[in-house]
Amino acid sequence: MSDATALTPAIAGRYLESLLAGQPQRAASPLAWLKALRAEAVERVGALRLPTTRDEEWRFTDISLLGKTSFASALSATYLEAADVAPFYIEEATTRLVFVDGIYAPELSSPNAGSGTHSGVVVSNLTSAMAAHAAAIKPHLGRHAPFTNDAFAAQNTAFLHDAAVVIVPRDVSVAAPVHLLFIATQKEVVSTPRCLVLAEAGSAVTVIEDYVVLYQPRWQEEAHFTNAVTEVVLADNAHVTHIRVQREGSKAFHIANCAVSLGRASNYQSVSVALGARLSRYNLNVMHTAEGATCALDGLALISGRQLADTHSCIDHAQPHGTSRQLHKCIVGGSAHAVFNGKVMVREGAQRTDARQSNRNLLLTAKAHIDTKPQLEIFASDVKCTHGATVGQLDSEEVFYLQSRGLTDAAARNLLTYAFGAEIIDRIPIASLKQQLEQTVLEQTASLP
Amino acid sequence: MSAVLQNLVNQPYKHGFVTDIESEVAPKGLNEDIIRMISSKKKEPEWLLEFRLKSYQAWLKMTEPEWQNCHHPKIDYQAISYYAAPKIKAKLNSIDEVDPELLRTFEKLGVPLHERMALAGVAVDVIFDSVSVATTYKHKLAEVGVIFCSMSEAVLEHPELVQKYLGTVVPTGDNFYAALNSAVFTDGSFCFIPKGVKCPMDLSTYFRINTEESGQFERTLIIAEEGASVSYLEGCTAPAFSTNQLHAAVVELVALDNADIKYSTVQNWYAGDENGVGGIYNFVTKRGLAKGVNARISWTQVETGAAITWKYPSVVLLGDNSVGEFYSVAVTNNYQQADTGTKMIHIGKNTRSTIVSKGISAGKSNNSYRGLVKIAASATGARNYSQCDSMLIGEECGANTFPYIQVLNNSAQVEHEASTSKIGEDQMFYFAQRGVDAEAAVSMIINGFCKDVFQQLPLEFAVEATNLLSFKLEGSVG
Repeated sequence: MSDATALTPAIAGRYLESLLAGQPQRAASPLAWLKALRAEAVERVGALRLPTTRDEEWRFTDISLLGKTSFASALSATYLEAADVAPFYIEEATTRLVFVDGIYAPELSSPNAGSGTHSGVVVSNLTSAMAAHAAAIKPHLGRHAPFTNDAFAAQNTAFLHDAAVVIVPRDVSVAAPVHLLFIATQKEVVSTPRCLVLAEAGSAVTVIEDYVVLYQPRWQEEAHFTNAVTEVVLADNAHVTHIRVQREGSKAFHIANCAVSLGRASNYQSVSVALGARLSRYNLNVMHTAEGATCALDGLALISGRQLADTHSCIDHAQPHGTSRQLHKCIVGGSAHAVFNGKVMVREGAQRTDARQSNRNLLLTAKAHIDTKPQLEIFASDVKCTHGATVGQLDSEEVFYLQSRGLTDAAARNLLTYAFGAEIIDRIPIASLKQQLEQTVLEQTASLP
Repeated sequence: MSAVLQNLVNQPYKHGFVTDIESEVAPKGLNEDIIRMISSKKKEPEWLLEFRLKSYQAWLKMTEPEWQNCHHPKIDYQAISYYAAPKIKAKLNSIDEVDPELLRTFEKLGVPLHERMALAGVAVDVIFDSVSVATTYKHKLAEVGVIFCSMSEAVLEHPELVQKYLGTVVPTGDNFYAALNSAVFTDGSFCFIPKGVKCPMDLSTYFRINTEESGQFERTLIIAEEGASVSYLEGCTAPAFSTNQLHAAVVELVALDNADIKYSTVQNWYAGDENGVGGIYNFVTKRGLAKGVNARISWTQVETGAAITWKYPSVVLLGDNSVGEFYSVAVTNNYQQADTGTKMIHIGKNTRSTIVSKGISAGKSNNSYRGLVKIAASATGARNYSQCDSMLIGEECGANTFPYIQVLNNSAQVEHEASTSKIGEDQMFYFAQRGVDAEAAVSMIINGFCKDVFQQLPLEFAVEATNLLSFKLEGSVG
């Protein structure tokens, strides 16, 4: 966090430009508005600089390491055999979009074009969906995740030529979850995954946003950079369950922005799990744009070694009668560093807002550390808002109890650590994914020092 | 009900009168000459002048902080007079020689200057604009070895103590306002409690700003040696002017092994009128250093006045097993802004801290709690509990919480909770049904809300705080 390691603005500015290098080679969009959006983003990248620890939003997350590694943009996708990718598939998901280094891989995907099916659900990449659904996409794409002041969102938008698009028509409930799988395969490459989820009035859908790494034989554990932007739009009475799993390589950089817009009486449930990456940052911004919306944001960061996981969430109660619940947990081992900043904003007039937030942190080792800042900003009088934060270690009495039942000290600690994390994993409504993650968490906690 | 509350919160400021007393005011502006003038007026030793000039040089290189959740027009530091003092003809030997006009002022404010009238035997040091005008019970305190006097006096009579401790807790370059204070501080209180002495009475300082366009820059230093203990109270008022006055104080506390310092403040500076015109800018740096093992520093504050309050009474818990406490009630009304809280820096082993903060916002005011709990890697077994509650009265006010928690040691236990509530219709209905009128009900609910903090105040202050709160929020039900 020392200022000495922070980048000077001049270098930071040039760094962003270097990330733009591959941009002109991307195919231009035939749509004028998309071209204009990209041009606007390119201009912002030129004007912005990489944030440093002197910026309040990045105070605890030093990204100077990112600035020291140069990344080229992926211009061609690595060809992957279906067998390589199969282990990542989720059996419950009947529709799946696969992006390799940010580039759509049709041979691995099973999309849903929308027009052919009776339900009209669209699960497709942007380029294919654009012809038939431009009218639905245009008012939302790039409109919810602002990039004027966010260098990473701007960089992503500058590269916006394809995206994962999910459109659920009015009053349609999609039973099977939609799997959006992003696979990193190349080292020193920056990929810019983009998702757009549109849930029309009264619809319901579950979306899994999944970031994984598939190492090629030629390189192991090398750095890559994922800069993702997701926009989720819930119209009146829509219901979206959004599962996000980040299990990138241990040297990867992962920066993501997710913007959620809640319509009247809509319901947004989110579970995000961060396991991988050397440095990860997740900005989750939820905006209550109409009355009576509900959101529940749950998060788990399980990190060790020299990892850094940062979650910044902002729940903006701009309208009355909104409800929000948030539980964010961090398990920090090794000399890892977890950061949580949870802002809850209740705007003037947003009466009868009910917001509860809890942040619980478990420090497993002497060198692990945590910076947390639950933040409430309230400008309405008739509200119920609470937040709580705790930092601690495993309860010695609980460990003793398990030992008295014949468990070894290590087994007792693993079990308790696992149980701490499992509370979040349990909230994932997809059995196979839950099982997979529980296994991962169990393995990780067992290997934690 | 909102009409009742409207009446309740709109009370005039009762300490807004100006004392017509002949004052000596330095020309406006700040430069090395003014600093030399202040220093020579106070007959200060050379090292203190150097301390001031060094601070001034540091201040020139600094910029005003802008991160706080307060907004005000830019302060012109050259338009402030850095020294204002009531004219004193000769050195006073007894309180009876104090200008009767001054005495009347403090009688009016309810501060007992006459020793025979002193309620419950509290020793009082009175600061009027830039200088200390009287200190009561000095001799009685001297018998047990306690030094309680104005800072200017301490500089002349106990220079070795002042030089040893001044600027050790709040360094000259600590922040913009602390640097400014270090350059131009005029007076304040100095307390020294020697080894093993329990101070036989509460010590108290009363601050009054009287001159328009002046600033008050007081400096308080309290040292409790091994095993010593003291309870210190501070009160403040100012006349109602339509201009803003700057109050940039620095308070330093040092607690050695097993020492105990309890510092209580009831701050009632003029808050400006209902349109937000005038009022004091209260930009204060308060910090305690729990230097020795088992040392204990406790801050209790009731912040009701000032147009803008920006202060974070902090404790650096250096000694093993040391304890830091912070209890605060901040009430804002009309256009008042408060950005206040605390910092607890845990360095020693098994250090403990407690934070209880209650914010009440009414009118168009903005009340923020900003705090830091930092557990350093060395603070094995550290423990913190924080609670921040806010209450909102009315539709146009704001309440914010910005708690920073940084933990670098895994044996630490840190808990933080915050809640926001309002005076519920059901609560009011319950009182009404029991025959309690709206005004008494609101007063009871608010006092209940603040109880955890008021309990920490010394008795006389607890009474004053309760009265102050009800008088800030009282009014006719009609």
